[in-house]
Amino acid sequence: MVLKLNLRFIFAMGLYYGLYTITRGFSYVIASMSLPLTMLFLIGIISRGYLLKYAVIGGFISLISTNALSSAGDASFLRLELKFQDLMVTTRITRIDYMLGLMLSYLFFSLPGIIIYAIIGVVLNLFTAFRALALFLVMLSLLFSETSLAFMIAGMMKHIRNVWGIVSILSIILSVIPPIFYPYTYLPRYVLYVLSISPATPGSVIAQGVFGMQPLNYTMLIVLIAETVIYFVLGMNFIKWRED
Amino acid sequence: MIEIFGLNKIYENRVEALKKITARISKKRTAIIGRNGAGKTTLIRILSTQLMPTSGYALINGLNILKDEDEIRKKVSCIPQEARPVGLLTPYEHILIYLTARGYSFKNASEEARKALKQVNLWENRNTPADELSGGMKRKLFVAMALASNAELVFLDEPTTGLDPLSRLEVWTAIKGLSSELVLTTHYMEEAQSLAEELIFMESGTIIKQGTAEEVLSEFGGKVRIESRKPEEGWKRVGGLYINYVDADSAQEYIKLGYDVKQITLEDLFFKYGVEIES
Ligand SMILES: Nc1ncnc2c1ncn2[C@@H]1O[C@H](COP(=O)(O)OP(=O)(O)O)[C@@H](O)[C@H]1O
Ligand SMILES: [Mg+2]
Repeated sequence: MVLKLNLRFIFAMGLYYGLYTITRGFSYVIASMSLPLTMLFLIGIISRGYLLKYAVIGGFISLISTNALSSAGDASFLRLELKFQDLMVTTRITRIDYMLGLMLSYLFFSLPGIIIYAIIGVVLNLFTAFRALALFLVMLSLLFSETSLAFMIAGMMKHIRNVWGIVSILSIILSVIPPIFYPYTYLPRYVLYVLSISPATPGSVIAQGVFGMQPLNYTMLIVLIAETVIYFVLGMNFIKWRED
Repeated sequence: MIEIFGLNKIYENRVEALKKITARISKKRTAIIGRNGAGKTTLIRILSTQLMPTSGYALINGLNILKDEDEIRKKVSCIPQEARPVGLLTPYEHILIYLTARGYSFKNASEEARKALKQVNLWENRNTPADELSGGMKRKLFVAMALASNAELVFLDEPTTGLDPLSRLEVWTAIKGLSSELVLTTHYMEEAQSLAEELIFMESGTIIKQGTAEEVLSEFGGKVRIESRKPEEGWKRVGGLYINYVDADSAQEYIKLGYDVKQITLEDLFFKYGVEIES
C-alpha cells in the first residue's frame, strides 16, 4: 500500500482550525492549560519544590492528554452535530488525512501551553538538546495514540451527550492516575504494567528517565511505540469514514 | 446521470429505509421530495459514497458506488442535511479547507473561494467567524463550497429547511448559480418546482412518482381538492381537515354546500400518500 497524504489539507486544518482559532477561542486554550498549571502550583507547594521537576515535565504530557480529551468531544461534535466529517468523506482526503489534519490542529492549539512550559523548563535549566528532542517525540507519540483513542470514541458515539460521560472516565485514565506528576517508581511493578494501557504511563516513564529523574525503562519505550501504532490503527477503523 | 439498481438499505435497528429502489436520474436538476423519514437522506448518502447499501448498487456517470469510490469522490460534492459551519472559522477558511481536501492548491483554492463567495454575496463577510453569520448566510456558505468545488455532480440535502422565506430565496438564487448537475432533497414543493426539472417523490423507502411536476400530478388530472372541517365518510384526514378529490365538474355542487375547493398542487401528493404532513 502506498500511503499518499494530502499535505495541503493537513496543513490547512492545522493552520485554520488549530492556529487561527487560538486567538478567536482563547478561553479554550486557558482551559486546556488550567490542569497542568494547577498541578504545577500544588506540587510545588506541597513538596516544597522537591517534586517541581515532575510538575514541569508532567505538565508537557498533561497538556497533550487534556487536549486529547477535548478532542474526543471535538471530533464527536464535528461528526454528529456539524456533519463536518460527512462533508469531508466526499472529498479526496482519506481517513488518515482527516485524522492527521485534526491532530495537527490540536497540536497547534496546545502551542500556547507548550510555550509557557518550555519557558519554565528553560528557567529551571531542565533542557539539553537531547532531552528536548526526546520529550518532543514522546509528546508526538502521545498526540497520535491519545487522539486516536478520541477518534475511536467519536466514531462509536451516537449522541453527543454520551461523549461527556466517557470523557470524564477517560480523563482519569489519561491524565489523573498515570505517573505524570509523580515518580513512576512509587508504583508497584504490576500496577505500573496495568496502568501502561494508558499511553500517558509509558510516556511519563520515558520522560522521567530521559530527564534523569528516575532510571530509564526500555520496555516502556517499546510499549509506547506499540501503543502509538495500535491505537492509531484502532482509531482508523472506528472513525466511521464510510458507514455500513 | 445516476442509475440505481435494486438499492436496499436496512439499518442496524432493522429499519428498512430503502426498499429495492431502481431508477434513473438523467436530468440536469432533480429534486427528491418526500416527508421526513421517506428515505431521501439515506439515498443521498449512499449515492455520494458516505454510506454502504445493504444490497444493490448505483452508477454515478458510469462509476460504481461499490467499487469506484475514489473516482466518484473526485467528481461529486455533497452537502449533508443539517450541516453547520465550524463556528470559529470564517467563510473563506471553510472554502479553503474544503478545496484543499478536494485536491486544489492554495492558490487555486483561494481564487475559487473568491469567485464563489462573490457569487453568493458573502464576500463582505468572508472574514467573519461563522458563529456571527445569519442562518441564511450559513447555508449560502455551503452552497458556495459546492460552487467552488466545480464538482460534476452536487448533492444538497434539504438546503433550505428552517430558513425564513427571504433567506430561502437568497439560497435559491445561490443554488441556481450552480452549473453542475444537481440532486437536491426538500419537502418544500415550491422549492422543488423552482429549482428542478424533474421530481422524484419518495415515501416509505420507495419511489412513488418520477417526472415533471405535471407528470407527477397526472393522476389528479381534471380534479380538485375539497376540504371539510367535519369528518366525512371515506375522506382522508389531514391534521384537522378532511379532504377528498373530485372532478372539477362536480366542484360547483360542493361549493354550494359550503365546502372549500382548492386547486391541485404538489402538496396533494403528500396528502394522498402520507398519513399526516409535518411542518
Ligand atoms: N443511522 C440510522 N440508523 C437507523 N435508522 C435510521 C438511520 N438514519 C435514518 N434512519 C431511518 O431510516 C428512515 C429514513 O430516514 P432518512 O433517510 O433520514 O429520511 P429522510 O431524509 O427522507 O427524512 C427513517 O425511518 C429513519 O428513522
Ligand atoms: Mg433527510
